[in-house]
Amino acid sequence: MADLSMAQAVVEAAKYVGAGLAMGIGAIGPALGEGNIGGKAMEAMGRQPEMAATLTTRMLLSQAVTESTGLYSLLIAFMILLF
Amino acid sequence: MKVKFSKGEKIFLSAFLVVYAIVAIWNLNKIEIPSGIGHVWQVKVPLPSILGTLNPLTIIMTLALVVILVYMAVDFKKHLKKIPSRKQSAIEIVLSFIYELVEDSIPIEEFVRPTFYVSATLFLFILFSNLLGGIPGISVGVLNHGLSLNLFTDTWPSPTGDLNTNVTYAVMVLFISHVFAIKLKGFKEWLKGFMDPNPVMLPMNIIGELAKPVSHSLRLFGNIGGGGIMVLMLSYLAKYTVIPVVLWGFFGFFVGTIQAFVFSMLAIAYISVQLEQ
Repeated sequence: MADLSMAQAVVEAAKYVGAGLAMGIGAIGPALGEGNIGGKAMEAMGRQPEMAATLTTRMLLSQAVTESTGLYSLLIAFMILLF
Repeated sequence: MKVKFSKGEKIFLSAFLVVYAIVAIWNLNKIEIPSGIGHVWQVKVPLPSILGTLNPLTIIMTLALVVILVYMAVDFKKHLKKIPSRKQSAIEIVLSFIYELVEDSIPIEEFVRPTFYVSATLFLFILFSNLLGGIPGISVGVLNHGLSLNLFTDTWPSPTGDLNTNVTYAVMVLFISHVFAIKLKGFKEWLKGFMDPNPVMLPMNIIGELAKPVSHSLRLFGNIGGGGIMVLMLSYLAKYTVIPVVLWGFFGFFVGTIQAFVFSMLAIAYISVQLEQ
């Protein structure tokens, strides 16, 4: 680590900053979306408790689809760090 | 629900925990993070360009899964009874659940059974390969100078953790949906479908179609492949004590089942969108 040139050091530092930013900003969208889905599902369950079983499976399904945008940014962060 | 253990089970479990703790403490300072993390074992074969590189682990595990699934199907057909056994009714519940989903979303009756074959096959294969990613087993890591064989420090390498498998299935679903559309509407009507509101939207529609397999395949790969890397890193931080078992269970069984279901659901949805008139 000690014998890096200035340019290499800047690249190394930028890698960590970039990975952190990619993951941090990329996690905002899925967090909001999943919270929204969960909240709406809770509302619906409160209104119709007999539908709770179907609503839970559909909620998990749509959350899995929403989560994929966050996983793209996780992949990008891993790729920046490891390759 | 209360679980009762017999005396022998109690002795076995406590002996297992003691051995586990001793091994964990013994290994505390010897564990290093694998240097080839995220790299896969590749073999070069003398074939032109894109066919020239193979992933042996993916091929081996895919063939093993195919053998297991074909054996299960043959066994299922041989022991088919009017009063179902436990195994038969479990398989029947899963398949009839998918069949009802397909029946609800496909508008034309002629295409219900072909779509059911595609989506149920995809669901079973992806489910089994994701479940393999939750069971500890033999895996091959890449070091700077060669290969390392790891026993029980990682899960079995699941074929869906490799992007090639997922892209193959996603492109296959795209082709099948368009073939169905051509069969239903005829070639001219299918071409007209690309200029849906007006001809200005033609490039938009083409890009929209091409973006489908990308998001479809990357969703599965991100969940399974990214989950595997995350488990490796977190297990290294906790020195392989208790966390890996919990995380393997979470990523392999919970996320794996949901993602297999999502993949086949989206396949059904993409086919049904093409069949709308």
